[in-house]
Amino acid sequence: MADVGYINQDSFLHRLDARTKLILMLAILVVVLVFTDPIYVIAILFLVLGAWKLAKLPLNMVGDIFKYFTGIAVIIFVLQAFFYPGETNLLQISNPIPAIGFSGYITLQGVMYGLALVLRLVVIMTVAPLLVMTTPMSDLMLALVKFKVPYRFAFILTTAMSLFPSIQNRAELIQQAQLCRGVGDFESGNFFVRLRASASILTPLILGAFRDSQILDVAMSSRAFGAPIQRTFLLESHFRQADYIFLAGSCLSLVGAVILRIMHLGVV
Amino acid sequence: MNQTNPPENNIEAKPAPVRSWQSRGRIFGIPVSLIAIWAALFVAASAVPALPVPGMGGMITVNAIMTAISGVVLGPAAAVANMAGAIIATILFPFGAFFGPISFLTATVGGLIAGLTFANRWKLAGAIELLLIASWFVNPASWQPYMYLVPLPYTGIAVLVIFIKPLREWARNQILTQNKVWMWPALFLFASIGHAGEYLTSNSMTNWMYNLTWQYWIPTLPYWIGVDTVIVVLSMVVGVGVLIGLHRARLPHASDLYIKK
Repeated sequence: MADVGYINQDSFLHRLDARTKLILMLAILVVVLVFTDPIYVIAILFLVLGAWKLAKLPLNMVGDIFKYFTGIAVIIFVLQAFFYPGETNLLQISNPIPAIGFSGYITLQGVMYGLALVLRLVVIMTVAPLLVMTTPMSDLMLALVKFKVPYRFAFILTTAMSLFPSIQNRAELIQQAQLCRGVGDFESGNFFVRLRASASILTPLILGAFRDSQILDVAMSSRAFGAPIQRTFLLESHFRQADYIFLAGSCLSLVGAVILRIMHLGVV
Repeated sequence: MNQTNPPENNIEAKPAPVRSWQSRGRIFGIPVSLIAIWAALFVAASAVPALPVPGMGGMITVNAIMTAISGVVLGPAAAVANMAGAIIATILFPFGAFFGPISFLTATVGGLIAGLTFANRWKLAGAIELLLIASWFVNPASWQPYMYLVPLPYTGIAVLVIFIKPLREWARNQILTQNKVWMWPALFLFASIGHAGEYLTSNSMTNWMYNLTWQYWIPTLPYWIGVDTVIVVLSMVVGVGVLIGLHRARLPHASDLYIKK
């Protein structure tokens, strides 16, 4: 499975506070879910792609992302084009087929709605990598703490993130050991064989990791984890003028989107 | 110098430390270190693709097994562990996150319902399960023909286990007492609860965000039932191995908290 990470660049998006970017991302998510008119959704998509370009991120990655949802995008579009109950007929395909709920026509509203849902998917899929590639992990964690997410949860996130590579290494070791025992075929074979092989890794992996957790528990206890003290942080983050502007913009767009929706604008 | 030593029985008089739900360094009685380790395991499992999703480039990953068994291993703390793991997985592998920044909800809800049921907090588990079912059925897309069939198979099992006390108690007892024979079906039932919670959340979010109609859901239903069965059966196999291993190695897990001593 493809993964993405922080790309170090000097751009306005990189300089924004991680909290601002999180709020922006959620605002975009809400706004894109409010509208079902493709013109409105295209406008949001251009905004996201513009941010992508301004952040100096490789645009070919958008194409890579598209590979992952081409199939579902086609399914969404075809289903809406054929089965959405529209009023303006565009094209007659066949006689009505009541058994599958097909009126026989492709309607303008169906095409518009299908297009809007596909564009919605594109926006949702491109906005999350935008945050990840412009924000170092430490800043993201700090943002969560600043949002008053309990420190214990932020600790779980950072610890899990740092333990992930060692657990992956351990999984590879177990995989090699299981291969030596002839337990499973991890590379070839049908997916049932591969899934069963993956399951044969999980049990020893979980047990080994749980054993390690006891060492971590002792280390945490010896450092008085959870003691009721005022916690300080090595890294600090502060809102700047640009952050306030973007936060105000996010709030205004949210309110604006809701008002437009109440006025039945942006809806097919 | 007049120095008095404390009498020895004073030391004995101190009560033994009791595990409380709010004790330091623990969440729902489970050590934070264990939850962090589970989250890291969840992320590692998210990198292993297992089953293709029909019509999509995405894959169902091995973390589906982790979600299904998380409730019996960690109790309600599974929700926190799965949430942390799923958030990191979304950050590291955002290409598979069809629900964007709220993709973490699916594994969180699955772990929460199974964990609460295992902790015998069935009323809360049942309320969340009913809310999930409602979130599916209040969507107009779910009023289309045969759409009631989509959440039926494993959600039906989950509802039965949560609300029928003898069945729930029996399944809990088999797992808590590590009955060699009946632990298997009991784990199947709990894995069904965890997996049903995850997929019903996922299905409901799909319907609300992308409005897939019955023309997608109904033809692919046999495939989904097959996928769910494979995941639940594998979860049962992995879960039994993990629980027996944890018990024999005397490693901390949720059963320690609920077993009657």
